[in-house]
Amino acid sequence: MRHQLSLYLRLISIQLRSQMQFRVSFWTDVITTGLLNFSYFFSTYLVLQRFGSIAGWSVAEMAFLYGMIEISFGSMDMLFSGFDPDSFSRFIRQGLLDQVLLRPVSVALQIFGSAFVMRRLGRITQGALVLIFALVNLPVHWTPLKVGLLPVMWISQIAAMGALFMAGSTLTFWTVQRVEAINILTYGGVEVMSYPMTIYPRWLRGFFTYLIPFIFLNFYPALYILDKPDPLGLPAFSPFLAPLVGGVMLFLASRFWQVGLSHYQSTGT
Amino acid sequence: MSPIISVQHLYKRFKILQRRPGLGGALVNLLSPRYSEVSAVQDVSFELEEGEVVGYLGPNGAGKSTTIKVLTGLLVPTSGEVHINGKVPWLERERYVREIGAIFGYRSTLWWDLPVIDSLELLQPMYRIPAERFRSNLREFSRLLDLDSFLNTPVRSLSLGQRMRADLCAALIHEPRLLFLDEPTIGLDVIAKEHIRQFILHVNRQRGVTVLLTTHDLADVERLCERVMILDRGRLLFDGSLTMLNHRFESTWTLHVDFEVEYEDVSLPGMDPPVRQGLHAEYHFDHRQVTSAELITRLLEKFRIRDLEVRRPPLEETIRRIYREKLLIN
Repeated sequence: MRHQLSLYLRLISIQLRSQMQFRVSFWTDVITTGLLNFSYFFSTYLVLQRFGSIAGWSVAEMAFLYGMIEISFGSMDMLFSGFDPDSFSRFIRQGLLDQVLLRPVSVALQIFGSAFVMRRLGRITQGALVLIFALVNLPVHWTPLKVGLLPVMWISQIAAMGALFMAGSTLTFWTVQRVEAINILTYGGVEVMSYPMTIYPRWLRGFFTYLIPFIFLNFYPALYILDKPDPLGLPAFSPFLAPLVGGVMLFLASRFWQVGLSHYQSTGT
Repeated sequence: MSPIISVQHLYKRFKILQRRPGLGGALVNLLSPRYSEVSAVQDVSFELEEGEVVGYLGPNGAGKSTTIKVLTGLLVPTSGEVHINGKVPWLERERYVREIGAIFGYRSTLWWDLPVIDSLELLQPMYRIPAERFRSNLREFSRLLDLDSFLNTPVRSLSLGQRMRADLCAALIHEPRLLFLDEPTIGLDVIAKEHIRQFILHVNRQRGVTVLLTTHDLADVERLCERVMILDRGRLLFDGSLTMLNHRFESTWTLHVDFEVEYEDVSLPGMDPPVRQGLHAEYHFDHRQVTSAELITRLLEKFRIRDLEVRRPPLEETIRRIYREKLLIN
């Protein structure tokens, strides 16, 4: 395990080194992605200011939802860069998986180590600024449980969204081309989680509660931290389901990955 | 001693989606895909002893690469048994690939954007090579393969010959007992080819590495292999020594003769009339019926001759005949 970790860090450090070769373009990339993402939030902020609140959520409360997801998605996008279905399908098409299979190291570890897109720092920083804005403007009554819930949300969200990346990449073992449907789920899910779930129609909420239970990753923990009543009447433990959702999704995705890999090895696309 | 590679009744069939034309066709494809089956490898069996260098030959699409992919653990066969180093490649891939080296001539196994030395140094923790061994192997291979001048160049900027040398170093740095080479000299010039052949011979003799290689360049085979296997449309047509191959199939030899003076008739009784051009003549003969010595004696008795040369058909010609005539022997 320690060996695996040090090997992973070694692979990543090589990625970073080659990305830092072009310092200027690297930092302009970081800053533009940060600004671009921030402009989305800022336009929403301007609209919200006129209305004061949406579905009972103030601007600062919505900034909390949005900031959390932006940090998590940016982190996931960095950590799971190798599993981004767009780049992974290219990886398969170029036949690069064969050289991975020739190495005496787990394939997943090598894919994790094959890319680490530092530019995502821009999105993470932007999310962090929005989250700080939210926390400064919100009268949160902090308890140890609430403080502990923040990193748990972060990790669970990374795991759940990473699972979708992994599943999307696995599909390309069959299709070779990337599959649009799974991208819609990933990026759509991120969008949905950035706002209070109560603004969505019942069917969409149902989808993200029972099929892809994203509702427990951001919305319910946020209700708990911000001391807001549950408008949907789900069980009282709902705010604490995030790690379960993240863990189960990542577990299922890694099993699916194994199936896809054996399929690849028996067809040799 | 048990063989280091044992392949028994290996089959590999691929399913290929039959695409129907047009948008409607694409829709039908999605709903009821129609597959056709292609047999890439059919009932192939062979064994390799430790220390052998064996050429695996065949025309494009014969199934050479498919076989190599199965033997290196990249591909799972449809049926058949493979035991290499006592392991089944695709069942315990991670442990198995530690003991083999492999090169696919058409693609580098190194990290494209990294300098050669960084790539090689990454292999050390991957294969858990003791630092001492790694250093001494790197020193030896750099010297033999002349790597020093481009160790700090990214792989993508290397010439084909340099890249192949770097790849060879990478394939052997963890001291594998077996080396699989798929077209190791493809696209290289004569000097680069010779360099690579010498290196392969060196690791075979000095380190006892067993080598299985596919190639289109029969000079590789003549230089490196004592034994060849010939594959055509997935089936093994020949498995034996190069001498045996020559003996069994190279029947027509040619004797080139330059005469001192012009003769009206230079044919010999009982032989096909020669192909003539001025003072030059070519006699084609079956060396299993007439020896070249006998033929030369008969010619010298009748004519004044300036020069003689016996030519055996090139290996290429022999192998082409085997494909063409589907000569099957065991």
